Amino acid sequence: MNTSSLAAAGAHERRALGFLAELSQSLALSLDLRETLGLAVTRIADFMQAEAASLFLLDPAGTLECRICVGPVDISGLKLAVGQGVVGRAVAENATQVVLDAATDARVNANVDAETGFVTRSILCAPLSTARGAIGALEVINRRDGGLFDAADAEILRVIAAPAALAIHNAQLAHSLVEQQRIKRELELARKIQKSMLPKRRRGGFPLLGVNLPAHEISGDFYDYFDLPDGRIAFIIGDVSGKGLDAAFLMVRVASLLRWAGKHAPTPAAWLVEANVEMCKTLQDGRFVCAVVGQYDRASRSVTFASAGFPPALLHDGQGFEELLADGPPLGILAEAQYSERRIELGTRALYLFSDGATDVRDTAHNTLGSEGLRTLIARHAVLAPEPRLRALIGDLKRLRLVDDTTLLLLQEPCGTSAHSLLDLEFPARPEQMRQVRAALRTALDSEEIAPELRDKLVLAVDEACTNIIRHAYHGACDQTIALHLAREQDMLVFELRDAAPVVDPSRMQARDLSECRPGGLGVAFIDALMDDWVLVPAEGGKGNLLCMRKRLAATGENE
Amino acid sequence: MNTAENECVSETLGDYILVRLRGEVDLSWSQQVRRAILDALGAGSKVGVELSQVSYIDSSGIAALVEGFQSARGKSQQFGLVAVSKPVMAVLQLARLDKVFPIFPDAETARAG
Repeated sequence: MNTSSLAAAGAHERRALGFLAELSQSLALSLDLRETLGLAVTRIADFMQAEAASLFLLDPAGTLECRICVGPVDISGLKLAVGQGVVGRAVAENATQVVLDAATDARVNANVDAETGFVTRSILCAPLSTARGAIGALEVINRRDGGLFDAADAEILRVIAAPAALAIHNAQLAHSLVEQQRIKRELELARKIQKSMLPKRRRGGFPLLGVNLPAHEISGDFYDYFDLPDGRIAFIIGDVSGKGLDAAFLMVRVASLLRWAGKHAPTPAAWLVEANVEMCKTLQDGRFVCAVVGQYDRASRSVTFASAGFPPALLHDGQGFEELLADGPPLGILAEAQYSERRIELGTRALYLFSDGATDVRDTAHNTLGSEGLRTLIARHAVLAPEPRLRALIGDLKRLRLVDDTTLLLLQEPCGTSAHSLLDLEFPARPEQMRQVRAALRTALDSEEIAPELRDKLVLAVDEACTNIIRHAYHGACDQTIALHLAREQDMLVFELRDAAPVVDPSRMQARDLSECRPGGLGVAFIDALMDDWVLVPAEGGKGNLLCMRKRLAATGENE
Repeated sequence: MNTAENECVSETLGDYILVRLRGEVDLSWSQQVRRAILDALGAGSKVGVELSQVSYIDSSGIAALVEGFQSARGKSQQFGLVAVSKPVMAVLQLARLDKVFPIFPDAETARAG
């Protein structure tokens, strides 16, 4: 190369640099990328002195499509496979293609010329490269001066393609983010609509409580309850096979179908038979529904239910569990299926119905909770009244990992009808208060004729619980209060302590082994040893804690 | 006994220091009891804690006794409980400490032991 051509090359590079800077800026500042890219491709064609220029982008299906085209022939919308033609190769190899003589180059797709009458002589094509590979290609065709593109032109096109690739890639990312957010918003809306279909919690000691925890935004599980004309209460809990959107849509239909059938069905078995026949007509693609339906008579406290492939119900009397099977096939499979019924005299016991999501929750080691695990959790919270108990149970399940939609329905008459209050005290969380509290508690227990040895132990347990609250929940004496409520229900003494401290992690309240001799940590061990059971849960509304301790009194005369 | 004022008095009987407690030992003043026991162990080699007038003791009070016992054992000192009242004994049993502490019926026996 002689001096003048070197100088010419230098001028050419400077011009290219100036163009690149301008192009990068216009792409970076663009608010409407489509429009800016259209202009950019025109300017690239001018800068490269090309007769035609086009921009191809990969669509989600992996096909290249001409999105922008300038020149005598409009090939917008032209589709190519990756690897096909010059553009396809640039993308497949993620490398710039230089075609000096189109007439003899095997890479060139001659069909386009044949269809359009355009004569392609020389082609440059640079991939739009990103960290994830090529997302498209930029192609220029035929020098306007009739000459051939050379290696220097190819290098310039490669450099010019870079800011275009970056701008398009950023725009695609932004678009997918917007799309994701839109889907998220719509799912959130679907979740709200779905949640609004579940029955409202009824106050005033209504015996049914339900909770639905979707594994994702929306759920294939549902529950429902409603009054029958004769005064009985009908209830439903169901689980549509599969998860996600289609299960959720089906759940909406199945829930209304079951509700409709439940309004007039004479018995739970007839109810399931009718719903099953209907579902066999409408469910498709191997979908099915597991459900329990039942009728509860508050006057006699008897419940009758039938199950269609739903996990066995658990009946808990506060001491032990009974598993109740009432098994028939899931709904939507066999049109002639029959269902058997179970009738239970509920009394004061609790009937738990739960979808398999409740036993499928995983711990950090991926072990499933299982039916045994769920029983342990229920037993742990048996001390509590139904509403806080269900809340505590849900809290436990949420601490584990839900892998499936989880629904629980609890049927139990609210206790407390036969309970009578023995003591209600609210006092500042200060150790100096405890002497008075102990005195009041002794008096209350004496009035119930509790033997002095047992009385003193119960006083000790309550005292230890209070000082634990002062030390570990309030982190020292303060003017906030502790409320002590003592009630007796038949032979059961129930001690409730409420504080207004931040929620305490129950696992931090662990008894230590009494066989080791050291000064600290005795308080919880005393409570453990002296009470039959106790549980610590967040109070209603998420502020404060409720510690509930129970002691069953032995028959009169042998209080210890 | 329930109305007894809380009290903690240390008496020196020759080479023996007796910490006499009265009332209900709980979190409101168990730190004071702990200090008195540790001070006694700092002043003499034989220490007893007299508990006949104690109508109530909680875990923080028991902790003060355990700390005294452990401190004494570490320095080969003598530490015992004297005239343990029935309510205190019940809590010691509950904490499974009734066989851990040397327990004496009265100060005389404790001094001799």
